[in-house]
Amino acid sequence: MADENATVVLDRVNEPPAQTWNRLRANDITLTVPKISRKGDVYFALPQLFSHIECGMGEKVTSWVTSQAADARYVEVPAHTVREEPIVVAVDTDKGEVADTGVMVRAGATVSIVVAAGGTNAAATTSASLLRVIAEEGATVTITEVVGIGSSQQHLESVGVDADDDARVEVRQYALGGGTVAFGTAVSLSGDRARANVGLRYFADGKDHLDVNHVVRQRGKNTIAHVRENGILDDAAEKALRATIDLVHGARGSKGDEAESVLVFGDDVVNKTVPVILCDEDDVQGNHGATIGTVGPEQMDYLADRGLSRKDAEALFVRALFEDAIINAPEAHAHDVAVRQAERVLGAEVAHDFDASVQLAEDEEA
Amino acid sequence: MADTLLDVSGISAGTKDKPILHDVNLKVGAGETHVLMGPNGAGKSTLGHVIMGDPTYKVTSGTITFDGQDITELSPDKRSLAGIFLSYQAPVEVPGVPLYSFLRSISQMRPELKCTAREFRRRVGAIADELNLDQSFLMRELNVGFSGGEKKKIEMLQLLLLQPKLAILDETDSGLDVDALATVSHGIQRYRETVGGALIMITHNTRILERLTVDRTHVMVKGHLVAEGPASLIDDIDKNGFERFETKAASEGDAR
Amino acid sequence: MTKERTQVADVDRSLYDFTKSEEGYERYADGLTPDIVRAISAKKDEPQWMLDLRLKALDEYHRRPMATNWGPSIAGLDLDHISTYVSPKTKQASSWDDVPADIKDTFERLGIPEAERESLAGVGAQYDSEIVYHNMREEVAKQGVVYTTIEDALHDPTWEPVVHEYFGTLIPMTDHKFAALHYAVWSGGSFVYVPAGVSLDYPLQSYFRLNAQGAGQFEHTLIIVEPGANLHFIEGCSAPKYYEANLHAGAVELFVKDGARLRYSTIENWSKNMYNLNTKRATVGADAKMEWVSGSFGSHVSYLYPTTILAGDRSSCEFTGITFSGATQDLDTGCKVILNGRDTTASVSTKSISKDGGINTFRSSVVVGRHADNARCTVSCQSLMLDNISRSDTIPAMDVRNPTASVGHEATIGRISDDTILYLMSRGCSEQEARTLVVNGFANPVSKDLPMEYAVEMNNLIKLEMEGAIG
Repeated sequence: MADENATVVLDRVNEPPAQTWNRLRANDITLTVPKISRKGDVYFALPQLFSHIECGMGEKVTSWVTSQAADARYVEVPAHTVREEPIVVAVDTDKGEVADTGVMVRAGATVSIVVAAGGTNAAATTSASLLRVIAEEGATVTITEVVGIGSSQQHLESVGVDADDDARVEVRQYALGGGTVAFGTAVSLSGDRARANVGLRYFADGKDHLDVNHVVRQRGKNTIAHVRENGILDDAAEKALRATIDLVHGARGSKGDEAESVLVFGDDVVNKTVPVILCDEDDVQGNHGATIGTVGPEQMDYLADRGLSRKDAEALFVRALFEDAIINAPEAHAHDVAVRQAERVLGAEVAHDFDASVQLAEDEEA
Repeated sequence: MADTLLDVSGISAGTKDKPILHDVNLKVGAGETHVLMGPNGAGKSTLGHVIMGDPTYKVTSGTITFDGQDITELSPDKRSLAGIFLSYQAPVEVPGVPLYSFLRSISQMRPELKCTAREFRRRVGAIADELNLDQSFLMRELNVGFSGGEKKKIEMLQLLLLQPKLAILDETDSGLDVDALATVSHGIQRYRETVGGALIMITHNTRILERLTVDRTHVMVKGHLVAEGPASLIDDIDKNGFERFETKAASEGDAR
Repeated sequence: MTKERTQVADVDRSLYDFTKSEEGYERYADGLTPDIVRAISAKKDEPQWMLDLRLKALDEYHRRPMATNWGPSIAGLDLDHISTYVSPKTKQASSWDDVPADIKDTFERLGIPEAERESLAGVGAQYDSEIVYHNMREEVAKQGVVYTTIEDALHDPTWEPVVHEYFGTLIPMTDHKFAALHYAVWSGGSFVYVPAGVSLDYPLQSYFRLNAQGAGQFEHTLIIVEPGANLHFIEGCSAPKYYEANLHAGAVELFVKDGARLRYSTIENWSKNMYNLNTKRATVGADAKMEWVSGSFGSHVSYLYPTTILAGDRSSCEFTGITFSGATQDLDTGCKVILNGRDTTASVSTKSISKDGGINTFRSSVVVGRHADNARCTVSCQSLMLDNISRSDTIPAMDVRNPTASVGHEATIGRISDDTILYLMSRGCSEQEARTLVVNGFANPVSKDLPMEYAVEMNNLIKLEMEGAIG
């Protein structure tokens, strides 16, 4: 084994295409990660064409993951097929696992990909998942990422997607807390009429640190991108979100919009948001918005009339967020991660209460 | 028939993807009132926009002559200055441009309407009164935040101000309450009386036609003008609907 | 008709593009050395503390790197070839008759004396590195208002301590590289003091004209508005076009005390060889209000982000800005707001227009401090693209550290819709007129916030083809 204490510093991670004043300390994140690979080891790499895909956390993370992961996993979904079972990337963060996955979705195929990263905080570890996806013409890809780790753990969640003509990309992300969680997602709408929906829901409390970089490059004509981030920050949690809509020259007729909504509950929260639109084409529409605040006075009055204190009301929003994660977790690993984090944040009773009601609803549907 | 003012001759037109109008022929004499009826999606509004020169629609064959001049290739502003006015179903909002300045500039660019600032103020004021439009509207931004009825009144205001030779009123009566409808009808009346210009009314609603002397009625179905007749055709359609025209259009389509 | 688009008239610069001879002017050697800094200080016969400050700033300037990961390139700027001090051979006058004819002619053409007669409480006019004219209405002076140059204030025993107390405290020389440069070689500008409770009915105006080629202008503006006082200050800037780079690195420090109100309006129309690296900052006391109106039309490269520190409880600020970026221009503009007091409010509204390959970047930061309970801030920014060779980026940043604060941001980028153009054309406007009308309307919320003569200047700048027709 290599020296377990050997580490490497990755700087300028999650760096967006356009940056701003460095003194705001919102341009990137610097991460210290272990160096576990051994000189002389030979790992299986993905086909070369995956190396051209821009990934949200940047080159340094990509090369670190590819050098650290055990064998890279390549999955191909044949043209015009619907893959029934999701492709699951399960990362046990207690073991500090690092996954490198490449998915080739051939023309007209449909697939669901799930990344579930979680652990019990048994060890202070660094884990990572790098997912690169090529969506050929008319392909439909749904990516669900559920990340909830221990307070002494660190997880890197990097995604890169390239979408050809008429491809549909749906990314649903749940960042459910943990020591240091970094999400970087880059979607290139390279083909005409390609579409992307990127939705992130996040919760962070205690001294959690969440760092997010969302980049959508709209290159094809008549592409559409919707990006939504929705989160809750409590205690002394620290979050930085960079979200970029890049309307590249030639993307005529494209529309991109991005909006973040944050509820801040804790007195010591640090919430940074940098929403960016880059526009190098006139026949396009770009919009973004951000709303940062707490439960509104009107909402609060209404809830108070129903007997809820401010703390109760806040808890209601947190509960709703975890419910959403549990309901939308598409398979067992992701479900387990969401339930475990819900137990930690809301207590076992509440977590199992609504998990049970979800089960009931599902049983009734069946 | 009076001297031909507008001559739409063998016009076929459509968007890039899809043809809409097929070999349309329509003649309107100076000062005449024509009504263009037809079911939804028949292409009535498209014809109005094609006569105005909307670049959204490409004319694939035929010619449009107005006041003796071939205008088929003219841009909308040239057609406007030549004396064509199209009232929009949904007038566009232009933030930051006060209505009054807009009216002043579009009126000053017409040599026949050029006048002093004082005279202009008086004229606009008189027309606004005629239309029950509060003078404070004149200082607001063009169509921004106006209700549907207010926007239509602003269209009438421009109609009376610009005094075009031909006015095409595209569903000007749709979605108006009784009061607004009365005002708009009154505006149209005034246009007929004071300007004596020709009129093409695109409408579903025959009520607005009650106070007008209609010269000709045209029926459009699926992009074809399938029938033309005197004013009495309106009553016929009122009673029997478009069904028989639709059947006719269908059989014509089969014949091809 | 064809869908080919016509152009909105570019900013008409002919009004500003006239140059005057520099013959007989005092011009210091290019580049930056302690000797030049000492020479400037000696010429101004400054107190020792100011010379010390200048030398320290020069050190700081040489030490500091430029940030390389953001902002337009300033590679074309070679400080070794920029003269930091150019002075016309004239004494400061308080009557236009005493100003040398060619300089007076410059300001006449810019309409300054006329505006002074009609609507201003006082005027300062800077030509290259020195103020050549300064005057204020007598009734304003009687109220205790001081409007002079910093140089003169430093020679006045009443005001020297005041300048010493405030100068360089709001914008530290360590702020960024060009702030350091500014403090090393600053010259000219204004010192304004409005005593407590005094409200000026008319604005004060300073106009900055950079005539010299390959030179820099580094004026310092220091304004103190005492509690309950009220001032509107206007700043205008222009320069003729040269092919050699010019540099403007001014600093504006505004102290708005409790319950006071300050409006600061700027129309910046530097020529397209100008690097405009200007720093403006205001600190606002309890219940006080700061208003910025900022129009950026000129310069080759701009870095301009007026900053407001809402220090006092219930203080507020409004920022209204417009930037028009045409061929060869890369304008990085916006603002910064720091909300530190309780119940503070800030509202930012900006517009930008890009055409002919011009680049616009809106950059902002909103920082809500830990103690800013119930702070409210809204930012709204709209960008208009007039063709497909131009560029418009929007890069706001928010840093919120108080759970009771509420911060909102919205931005849109797009072009003029075809429907709008068609509607206006169907009423007889040519395509060009229709576009100009829409652009004018887009800019209207800013121009209506400007004093009359500046609104007219701005309309000239956008060159309204409509004007003749409106009559």
